[in-house]
Amino acid sequence: MNRTLEHILPKVQKPARYTGGEYNAVVKDKQSVTTRFALCFPDTYEIGMSNLGCRILYGLMNEQKDIWCERCYAPWGDMEEEMRREGLLLYGLESGDPISDFDIIGFSLGYEMAYTNVLNMLDLAGLPLRSAERPELSPLVIAGGTCCYNPEPLAPFVDFFVLGEGEEVTLEYIQLYQQAKEEGWTKAELLEEAAKIPGIYVPSLYDVSYNEDGTVAAIVPKDGAPATVTKRIVQDMDKAYFPVKTIIPSTEIVHDRVMLELFRGCIRGCRFCQAGYAYRPVRSRSPKLLAEYGKAACQDSGYQEMTLSSLSSTDYPCLMELCDDLLDYCAPRDIGLSLPSMRADTFSMNLMERLQRVRKGGLTFAPEAGTQRLRDAINKNLREEDLLNSVRTAFSGGWSGVKLYFMLGLPTETDEDVLGIADLARKVYFAWKECSPNKARGVRITVSTSWFVPKPHTAFQWDAQIPVEEYQRRVNLLRDALKRDKSITYNWHDPQTSYLEAIFSRGDRRLADVLEHAWQNGAKFDSWSEYFDFQRWMDSLEACGLNGDFYAHRVREKDEVFPWSVPSVGVSRAFLWRERELCYQSVTTPDCRTRCSGCGANKMLEGGRTCG
Amino acid sequence: MADRLLFSKTGRAKYISHLDLMRTFQRAFARAGIQIKHTEGFNPHPFVSIALPLSVGYSSQCEILEFGLLDGVPAEEVPQRLTAAMPEGILIHKCYPAERKLKELASINYIMNFEYSEGRPQECEPAMQELLSRESLVVKKKSNKSKKGFTEVDLIPLIRSFNIECQSDTMTLDAVLSAQNPGLNPELLRAAFCEAYPDYAPDFVTFHRREVLDTDGKIFR
Repeated sequence: MNRTLEHILPKVQKPARYTGGEYNAVVKDKQSVTTRFALCFPDTYEIGMSNLGCRILYGLMNEQKDIWCERCYAPWGDMEEEMRREGLLLYGLESGDPISDFDIIGFSLGYEMAYTNVLNMLDLAGLPLRSAERPELSPLVIAGGTCCYNPEPLAPFVDFFVLGEGEEVTLEYIQLYQQAKEEGWTKAELLEEAAKIPGIYVPSLYDVSYNEDGTVAAIVPKDGAPATVTKRIVQDMDKAYFPVKTIIPSTEIVHDRVMLELFRGCIRGCRFCQAGYAYRPVRSRSPKLLAEYGKAACQDSGYQEMTLSSLSSTDYPCLMELCDDLLDYCAPRDIGLSLPSMRADTFSMNLMERLQRVRKGGLTFAPEAGTQRLRDAINKNLREEDLLNSVRTAFSGGWSGVKLYFMLGLPTETDEDVLGIADLARKVYFAWKECSPNKARGVRITVSTSWFVPKPHTAFQWDAQIPVEEYQRRVNLLRDALKRDKSITYNWHDPQTSYLEAIFSRGDRRLADVLEHAWQNGAKFDSWSEYFDFQRWMDSLEACGLNGDFYAHRVREKDEVFPWSVPSVGVSRAFLWRERELCYQSVTTPDCRTRCSGCGANKMLEGGRTCG
Repeated sequence: MADRLLFSKTGRAKYISHLDLMRTFQRAFARAGIQIKHTEGFNPHPFVSIALPLSVGYSSQCEILEFGLLDGVPAEEVPQRLTAAMPEGILIHKCYPAERKLKELASINYIMNFEYSEGRPQECEPAMQELLSRESLVVKKKSNKSKKGFTEVDLIPLIRSFNIECQSDTMTLDAVLSAQNPGLNPELLRAAFCEAYPDYAPDFVTFHRREVLDTDGKIFR
């Protein structure tokens, strides 16, 4: 290990995050590989190591003889301070070598509030922030992940963005890079060729012009770049790489268990949900293969817990069959099986009893809205009766706590809808009184509300986030309504980060200056209260002459040119607009299994297959 | 009685904390397919216990872990199979049935390396000699139990023996220190030295456990 690092580590908290050397970490001989890849996650080790996508990419890149992929996470403040003082550059965990010497630096972008960490990590690596200031071919700085469906605020910093699922395209662009390196291409030449690979968006190949009112006038591709870049998908989930053998951290991380990915996409079509649109079409893994993967992953990891992951696990068609198969293996070995992302209408006692044999802690449901009308408007398609039946089942079965998640500020929301949340919570309380076998234990009902952030590529991409005063008023309205209910706890999300999310999720390239300004003034780890400073962001917006409300609180025209017009998730804009209109009429759209609504995503499936 | 493992923890594994190390062992046994006894009770889990937790950042070649090997895997196969299931830097040397009680483990031989990147001052060796030859050396030690937040402890009675060796840019203190009731963490020796002789304070000190000993100064297993 590097001597400087060895001298630093005793001074920082949780040093095991910075050493590598975990079980299954891949160490190769650097002389024997042609391409070194730094897979960077712009948050702490504990969060980054919990990301399944990164584990997939790490595994499949390292399966290739000529590629060595290493990991890199954002160092916490104490570590950063020591690194800067000692002049230690950001390094790959496997080799300890500075990532500035690598061929490709790839960031995983899942969350807008991590953007300043991208800048900070580039700086810690000793690299210039802006793509234009890095004229050499390597290191190439690229990014993938859900934020890339509108990556504009990061456009000047990143050489190219990879849209969609990375299983195939990763190896395609690495191959192109290898060719470029062998043949001595310039970076500009490489980027021009990269733009020809489906799913790769090279922001420098687009000229963006603005209208006087600040909206985008046009986005003009140049040097042959395509007008639309559609995300990549895996065609057959049963043939896609699954990380059975994956790194087991030596220190605790957030999701410290086997993660078994059941399927991608979601049949539901909730109109606010970016993931619901962005991961279409629905593609499942076969239960037999999943059971095999699950068992093998438990065997190799030694984990005592497995979680079945997807956007809506109870919509997996063969869930019972899979659970039974896995439980035959897990139960005798004391391996716990957990099932997050359950819909309140498909909750069944049968299922829950199989899963949570020991702990009957809390259950979490997300009705999202308080009245049937608004739930219909957002296409949540959850009926109150179904939710109440589910909680009755749970309470009768001995559960004593329920968490209910809602959003405030959804399009068309009225005070009646806000107060409907309180009514619903009370009905849940009465359901407990009616059904609980053990009332002496009491009940914990938690209502949590967040401030709705309209996201690009959703039916609400045209809509405004409600102003902060209005959000606060609705919070107060609900708080007052729940004041007398002793068994109901009400939590609401702090509005400041939601406002910034609203700005950056639908932001344009001009916000890059704001990011850089905020970073220069110390912004990093903005999703951590230890570091977040709202005023700093307000100052940066002002310094750059931009108005946050323009991005967050403005209703867009039907035909406005969105900053995210080039990236496509495969769902047509016409479909999203139709969904928005149906919202304003409080009309629902059936789920994808009941009837195809023609969003366009099925066109991505080869051979005219249907979703599923 | 229980079974024991003798293992070393060096290199990158030095930074794995005690709690994380226990979890790592529990998982590694499962990975290696070695069945071990579970705790009884409401939430059974594989039972492992590490004698004398090692501070984060220290290396060791003489760590002892207690557990219960169930039928299935011969003890002599355990070291190789378990090592293969471990993170880098943890090597299992031996698996054997416990024959002595852990409380017979009386002292630990530590090797402390004082590093001077700009060259070692001549005077640091006599300074260390002087410090450790005092009648008593009372230092303040952080304590959660005491109301004041610290307690006072005399280091001298806890030092069984020591030897100093010097090279051009290092001073090596080879010391046998009390292991338990109370034990002496060698960090306190470093701190006491730096306080008494701030001019000879090293740039960095490494700590290594070389051996665990019984009351007669013989190797404990």
